[in-house]
Amino acid sequence: MPPMKGLTVFIADLRKCRSHEDEEKRVNKELANIRTKFKEPSINGYNRKKYVCKLLYMSLLGYDVNFGHREAVELVDSTKYSEKQVGYLAVSLLMDDESEYLRSVVRALRRDIHDGSEWIVCLALNAISNIGSREMAEVLTSDIVVQLLSPAASMFIKKKAALCLLRLLRRFPESVKAHQWVGRIAPYLGHRDIGVTQSVASLMTALAQQYPEETRKAASFAMRRLKSLVIDNEYTLDYVYYKVPAPWLQIKLLRLLQYYPAPESSEARATLLSILRHIIDLSQDVPRELQQMNAQYSILFEAINLGIHLDIDQGLMQECAVLLGRFITSRETNVRYLGLETMAHLAAYIDRLDSIKAYQGVIVQSLRDRDISVRRRALDLLYSMCDVGSAKAIVSELLRHMAMADVALREEMALKVAILTEKFATEYGWYVDVMMRLVSLAGDHMGDEVWHRIVQVILGNEELQVYACKISLQTLKAPVCHESAFKVSAYVLGEFGHLIANAADSAPIDQLKALQSKMTSTSQSARAVALTTVGKFINLFPEIKTLCLRVLDRYRGALDAELQQRACEYYALGTLEGEELLPTVFEEMPPFPERQSALMSRLLKREADTEDQRTWVYGGREMNRERRGVTSGAASNDSREAVAESSAMPVPATGLNDASPGSPAASKKGAQEALPVEPPTDPSVAKSMRNYARLLWENDGILFDGEEIQVGIVAQYKPPSGRLGVFLGNRATAPLYNISITARAADGSQLTIQPAAGQEAEQPETLMPLAQARMFFDIQCQQVFTAAPTLHIGYTVAGCAPTVSELQLPVTVGHFMDPVTISVADFFARWKQLGDSGIAESQHVLPSAFLTKDAAGLEWLRSVIGGMGFALIHGADPEPNNIVGVGIATTQAGRFGCLVRVEPKPTHGLTRVTIRATNVEVAQSIGGNVKMVFESR
Amino acid sequence: MIRFIFVQNRQGKTRLEKWFGSYSDQEKQKLKAEVHRTVASRDQKHQSNFVEFHNNRIVYRRYAGLFFCFCIDTNDNELAYLEAIHLFVEVLDAYHGNVCELDLVFNFYLVYAVLDEIILAGEIQETSRSVILSRLEHLNNLE
Repeated sequence: MPPMKGLTVFIADLRKCRSHEDEEKRVNKELANIRTKFKEPSINGYNRKKYVCKLLYMSLLGYDVNFGHREAVELVDSTKYSEKQVGYLAVSLLMDDESEYLRSVVRALRRDIHDGSEWIVCLALNAISNIGSREMAEVLTSDIVVQLLSPAASMFIKKKAALCLLRLLRRFPESVKAHQWVGRIAPYLGHRDIGVTQSVASLMTALAQQYPEETRKAASFAMRRLKSLVIDNEYTLDYVYYKVPAPWLQIKLLRLLQYYPAPESSEARATLLSILRHIIDLSQDVPRELQQMNAQYSILFEAINLGIHLDIDQGLMQECAVLLGRFITSRETNVRYLGLETMAHLAAYIDRLDSIKAYQGVIVQSLRDRDISVRRRALDLLYSMCDVGSAKAIVSELLRHMAMADVALREEMALKVAILTEKFATEYGWYVDVMMRLVSLAGDHMGDEVWHRIVQVILGNEELQVYACKISLQTLKAPVCHESAFKVSAYVLGEFGHLIANAADSAPIDQLKALQSKMTSTSQSARAVALTTVGKFINLFPEIKTLCLRVLDRYRGALDAELQQRACEYYALGTLEGEELLPTVFEEMPPFPERQSALMSRLLKREADTEDQRTWVYGGREMNRERRGVTSGAASNDSREAVAESSAMPVPATGLNDASPGSPAASKKGAQEALPVEPPTDPSVAKSMRNYARLLWENDGILFDGEEIQVGIVAQYKPPSGRLGVFLGNRATAPLYNISITARAADGSQLTIQPAAGQEAEQPETLMPLAQARMFFDIQCQQVFTAAPTLHIGYTVAGCAPTVSELQLPVTVGHFMDPVTISVADFFARWKQLGDSGIAESQHVLPSAFLTKDAAGLEWLRSVIGGMGFALIHGADPEPNNIVGVGIATTQAGRFGCLVRVEPKPTHGLTRVTIRATNVEVAQSIGGNVKMVFESR
Repeated sequence: MIRFIFVQNRQGKTRLEKWFGSYSDQEKQKLKAEVHRTVASRDQKHQSNFVEFHNNRIVYRRYAGLFFCFCIDTNDNELAYLEAIHLFVEVLDAYHGNVCELDLVFNFYLVYAVLDEIILAGEIQETSRSVILSRLEHLNNLE
């Protein structure tokens, strides 16, 4: 396109303007001029093009240009290439999705996309990619698909068409009807033209995430193409970039493969391995030239990512770890950055972190790198590699750096410290100490989520409370106290201050004074929290009521409406005649229901904003495995380990991050049916019964242990729903074929059990000896049910008739129970109330010889009742050996309160167990469960 | 996926802006200013070419007085885009014959055409310098 003189002069004029006012004057003059010119009927194409370009320039300078749309459309309709080009450019820069002229543009595109000249078609495809409106997706998709697949279309048309589809697919997935053409794209990954392959690989990557089944073939095409590039050196010189063949295509293909599971066939695995090895070997020498090094390393890092994802060769992984160790000490900042990032990926998957821990010192050093980008990656890596063993060291390093960390980094650091501390705490004291230090250090830079979470955790863990009180009081007494620390301390003392009231210097009056001393210097929101604490003190410590009222009285005239309201209301409550209202209002807060920590959601939100799904997230192995399980559900051979692991998981002694404890219980029909209904001659009947009974109060364990198969269960309940993982292990020496794992609810029972999303397809057909398959089921409890669901496992051993085992699943209404803490007085009031109604009770006197023989028998009994989902109320029963507990069973139809009282008599070898509930079937079901647990001990 | 591409000078004037997603005019102004602040203040010698930007990442490189910035997703391959910047600059350089800031100003409409041959829909389309340049030459000769 020859330059337009008028445009050049105009731009030069504007550049000469000394002030903004001058420029504005010139712009306004030109806008007026253009308006008049556009009104002339005789305006020719060249002038129209020139004026539209001037408008574009002004609009890019930030001036509001709200005309010229019609002229842009006229340019689009021109037969001259350069005019059409400017026309489409103007449409993409000036019009928004709502423009009335867009319809005419779509009409023009429809015409141009089938134009005889190739460059016009390309212009149309460029325009669709740049504008990409909904109407284009609806009207033009099929035309674009035709162009992509047509053998007559040029390479340029093909690659533009592929990216056009990608743009429309990402923006309007429902309009492009990808299922109609998705199956025909994969073979283009083998196209001889590298440009076409490059664009198709981008499109394929997006399709692979939405249509993993339909695009399965893409993995082998991608692998073959990679092999031809990397190993067979099949490429044209045009595509060699600083001695590296088609780096961008290699990267795209390596990334595409990360959306598919590792191939089954050993041949394909070997090919992939040799490709990866080839790439790693090529990178052993550091290239001199910057461009070559970058290109080489960009491929290398992607190859390592693929290696981590495939996880098929230990030797390769070790080599990667060593390479990465070298990179994180590199002198090149970019390489350090990428080394740390990729190592975090490795840490997110690797089983043994030792190879990474060796570099812990270097990584901690990187928290002080000159570049904040590197510091961030170091933080992410420390977060990912943290485990029980290294938690203390890592958290204390992070706290140490917090004080000097950049403001921009502090919030994230605080979030991560909070999450790690909660996740890996093994001592109560440590958790409280770290968190208090954290809020003091980073309080200004973090959201309220952090201090809210601390309060939630302390409320949910009785064992933490006394220590938390002590520290809170100390915090308030310290010379300086950070606002968030003040809020936590005030809240904790208001709830549990009475627990330390008898200790030295912790009398109610001391607590109130400490609170008051800091109250004046804090913000309004903190004072509001403190006022509530004062209100609670009236209830907890009647002896200082007058003092408390005096404090409240002072705030009754506060200017802030919130403070004033709180003060007035609490004052009124405190001075009210009659004793009942105050204790009711200020009753101890119940523990917060279990839910995903707000800290976690906040952190994950940051990572979610990517067009292609992440193939991994920062964080430990469990998190990524869970993701993997959900997204691909690949039957991994380490699931046996996963069963063992989830029971031996380093659950903090406090169970801080534990999910709601499921609460097993069997149907009242009792033990007989609970056994595998399988071969009746099976000698393992007694053992199976023990297994089943154990799963009535524990969340995971073995359900069935036969000669050919072993079945393990991992359950997680969030009443009224739950998720059940079934692990099927092959114990035979021969492979099992035609595997099927299904679960069925009993006829007429108000329970649904179905495979979790995406699971059905993942069932393997064949199970090799010692291998494991797993399957997840989602459970919904609609109403109280009595008959347990059943699990059906079918398989064939070569040469035998198919075997079908039917097992009763340890899923009963009692499993949908959550513990509830209530006061002793309340317990007996409700116990009596339920007892009076008389119907909803189940009572058994059970032989329990173990109590006499086994000193730990009582302890065991407590864990059984606790494991079933009851909150144990200590010291409620005058008889110290007795156990009382409370739980609530939740179904979709309603919630049922449930009380239990266990009275062991070791001297007689008997135990009386009484269950009272607001529903008779619930009481009987749980009673039956307890009976069965006793019988099978 | 590339979210947007800026070419800015040291004073923060944007010489090229290419958006691959939908943003309002107000957002656009804000992002341009923010990117300039983020990138220009960084130490070119001792710091990496990557920097966190909201929930995305900026990959950038400075050529004389111009910053070429690509805003990409956090799971994209940083080095690949860093070299894509270099490829883009090499093409511009060959196309204009030793490109300078003023070329981008006076031929702004052509720069968009160049970009359309290298990057489309936020993804890299063509990576062969010679293929791109001969195509551009061909298009340039059309009326």
